[in-house]
Amino acid sequence: MGMKQYIIRRLIYSFFILAAVSVLVFAMVRLLPGDPIRAAMQQNVDLTDDKIVQEVRARYGLDKPIHVQYVIWLTDFFQGDWGISLSSGEPVLHMFLRRLPVTLELFVGATLWAWIIGIPMGVLSALRRNSWLDASFTTVSVLGVSIPSFWEAILFIYLFAVILKILPPSGYVAFFDNPVQNLQSVLMPTFVMGTHAAGSFARYIRSSILEVLNQDYIRTARAKGLREKAVLIKHAAKPAMTPIVTIVGMSWAHLLSGSFIIEFMFAIPGLGRMGLDAVFARDFPVIQATLIVGALNVLLMNLAVDIAYGFLDPRIRITK
Amino acid sequence: MSESEKPALATTESLETRRISQVGMKALVRTLLKHKLSRLGLTCICLLILMAIFAPVLAPYHPNDQDLYNVLKGPSKEHWLGTDNVGRDLLSRILYGARVSMTVATFATLGAIMIGAFFGLLAGFKGGVIDSIIMRTTDTFMVFPGLIFILMMAAALGPGMKNVVIAIILFGWTGAARIIRGQVLAVREEPYVEAAKASGASEWRIMFKYVLPNSIAPMIVVTALAMGAAVGMEAGAAFLGIGVQPPTPSWGRELRTGYSYLERVPLFSIAPGALITLAILSFTLVGDGLRDALDPRIRGEGKKIK
Repeated sequence: MGMKQYIIRRLIYSFFILAAVSVLVFAMVRLLPGDPIRAAMQQNVDLTDDKIVQEVRARYGLDKPIHVQYVIWLTDFFQGDWGISLSSGEPVLHMFLRRLPVTLELFVGATLWAWIIGIPMGVLSALRRNSWLDASFTTVSVLGVSIPSFWEAILFIYLFAVILKILPPSGYVAFFDNPVQNLQSVLMPTFVMGTHAAGSFARYIRSSILEVLNQDYIRTARAKGLREKAVLIKHAAKPAMTPIVTIVGMSWAHLLSGSFIIEFMFAIPGLGRMGLDAVFARDFPVIQATLIVGALNVLLMNLAVDIAYGFLDPRIRITK
Repeated sequence: MSESEKPALATTESLETRRISQVGMKALVRTLLKHKLSRLGLTCICLLILMAIFAPVLAPYHPNDQDLYNVLKGPSKEHWLGTDNVGRDLLSRILYGARVSMTVATFATLGAIMIGAFFGLLAGFKGGVIDSIIMRTTDTFMVFPGLIFILMMAAALGPGMKNVVIAIILFGWTGAARIIRGQVLAVREEPYVEAAKASGASEWRIMFKYVLPNSIAPMIVVTALAMGAAVGMEAGAAFLGIGVQPPTPSWGRELRTGYSYLERVPLFSIAPGALITLAILSFTLVGDGLRDALDPRIRGEGKKIK
């Protein structure tokens, strides 16, 4: 199968998964208990007046049959009409776009930390297998994948903000308002978010390199007298890359979950905070948007990983 | 992150593709115990379980007894870890907190694995349309970020320990299903399955009597890792205010409350967090050890080196 055909197949597959996701999200949000309209309008509308309730219901399209609601919601969504937040009255797309750069900054920062820490750790422990360096890196990476972000965040806040007082305990300053303060405010959150990914990078990279180094073609390369460096760079690097691409993609996809906790702890006005507030306020247009965006984020990353795989390992194009 | 955002059962995805050799239970335990770190993990898990069971015996106070004259005190002779914001003994609350954590992790993992094993077995054994439907369903579920999915489900279902368990099961079954399916695909070609077919055994009998028991080995690794992930997810959800409701002591919730008093009594949030980390870490270590014990390539290598 050619590369083009392979990409088209993956695209069609992703499209169907996205369709299934949209049905699931729609159904899940309808499961939320309580009448969202009543909950949202409690403060400013006389709810004993059924006529008003009916009117509001009609305005949000809640009086129509459920499958019609689904079609309307989906068409609107892809036309950029994500509905109006029940708690703030703002268009959801506006809220989303305003908060997106904040969360993206956290994502990029966390990914950088993960790369800077995780990749060298994984490579070094594979190359110095069974040394004290390997043992200590392996321990550190197990810790990295096991430590819950909220506890790590508390330890850092206590150390750097309460005891040493060199970093702000929480809050967020936009980059264009004050670049220095911006970097200070994201230093701890991005590090904490990146820890888990760093740990899993190190673990995957280590085992992936070790697996490749056990292959027959590496033995052949060594047997024909190649220097170790040439063996590693020319023969081992590319095949070892393939599984690493997966873990890089997977960790990006899971950053959004992390942002729910981290943005809450550090009082950062990003997408995670928006989603969390929406859950508690039963603000279902925002919940729907968050779920779809979260799923889309994972889906696109999976697609990118699949395509990268197709380039790196031609065998995949046939078997999948 | 977390942990919490741990790709749960998906972390063991590599198990899907490779058939793990059948290892006797005895040999498995022996290899596991040889592994220093997993021995440590196993010891900690046993201690945590004992802590959960014997909390009423071990705890110096009742976890909900308030002493309003002694709020937010640091460690002292009467209260080893200090007191919380309404004067409850922190040590007692943390000991009792092990109950929620271990119960949720156990039931959520068992539930996810049983449901996952059933669908994975069905998909792998039946193949065809049934396989496609089940596998595309797992694909769909797996597109959702873990903690967000659980948060939304738990919010939809309402507060309470049972609903957190259901939410984690709904998220976690997919990983187990995929791994079992991979094993079943290999096992169903084995001669003994063919022999059973030839002797006229019914399909369900073949599935549950011959295929399932021979496909289950890698699930033991998944179980350990999933327990750790479940502890993390429960704690994460409780930290965000979903799940077990006060006054039931839960590590995630203690940590959340303690976080507001970080400057005055750091132990209030640091101590419960340490227990959560210890639990997740122990399960990860045991899972790692089991995986190595079951992986024939790594097993062979270990011998060469030592």
